[in-house]
Amino acid sequence: MSQFIIRNEERGHDLIKSDGSRSSYIAGHPDGFVTRASSFDFHEYQAGRPGFGPIRVFGDEVFHGAGCGYNMHPHHNFVICAFVFSGELTHINTAGGGMVDRLSAGDYYVFSAGSGGKHSELSVTPEDMHAIYLWLLPEQLYLPPSYHRAHFDFRRRRNEIVQLVGDGDNTLPIPQDLRVSRLIADKGQNFPYALRTLSHGIYVFVREGRINCNGVELGYRDSMGLSDLATVSIDILDDDSDVLLVETILIDETTIKVWESEHAGD
Amino acid sequence: MANETFKRLLCLGCGFSYDEALGLPEHGLAPGTRWKDVPDDWVCPDCGTPKHMFEMIVIGYAPGGADLAVTA
Repeated sequence: MSQFIIRNEERGHDLIKSDGSRSSYIAGHPDGFVTRASSFDFHEYQAGRPGFGPIRVFGDEVFHGAGCGYNMHPHHNFVICAFVFSGELTHINTAGGGMVDRLSAGDYYVFSAGSGGKHSELSVTPEDMHAIYLWLLPEQLYLPPSYHRAHFDFRRRRNEIVQLVGDGDNTLPIPQDLRVSRLIADKGQNFPYALRTLSHGIYVFVREGRINCNGVELGYRDSMGLSDLATVSIDILDDDSDVLLVETILIDETTIKVWESEHAGD
Repeated sequence: MANETFKRLLCLGCGFSYDEALGLPEHGLAPGTRWKDVPDDWVCPDCGTPKHMFEMIVIGYAPGGADLAVTA
């Protein structure tokens, strides 16, 4: 078994204002700003672990102020998932024939940029918008772009691990061997998670509450990655704990292995 | 060196890919241009991310994908 732990404060914390040259990137000039806590090394914003398997971004973001977000910008290849927890996310996307989607708490999408598309993500209501973004490498380059969205019923699906993304029943498809699940649960419950194979790993992120994950206590916005093991055991230590679980095949890890060897013993 | 496999690299800012075999003729990089021969001050044509923030990848194309990549 191998594992790594990323505490809340160890993530890359950034505040990106819509000013100067950034205002073409960040919407909501002059007073809009995005706060972003990155679990993995993203752009120039963090010097941490580059990723986990095909995952390159796990960004915990808040759009502050009506009109704030990201202006229309292009993507290729990356598969981008967003999970919305509060506020409302207006997502304008050129994929397929083009669309405008509005997502609120519990809604989530999987956008596979494939051969190319542009999108803009905005919070147009007065409340701050909180979402977690997951970016991963696809299993093939230049796939036809696709967009799927669904809703997680957080009032009814409690005290069970609910799969949201990846192969499974009523889940959103994704062009990678990866599954995202969410667990909202109360103190005293235990949840085992069996990994598909020993070639898969799991990234466990505590959005709210407190858990014990295979002997490691994780609190608010703490996370850990585990690999080379068959089952993960999650004990819930606080009521209303909210946990995201990302199980992934461990490929495309060359960059990550180099980083690990350079930081061995840190 | 001439027989070395062509590499593919992905922009970590936006997912734009550079394929040594294909080059980017519309951006002045002929097919076969090695990554090491791409100027150090070159940036992603889509999002401006600098060259050193591209990652080498070993991922195949979807059917028809290589044709699309030439004109990306």
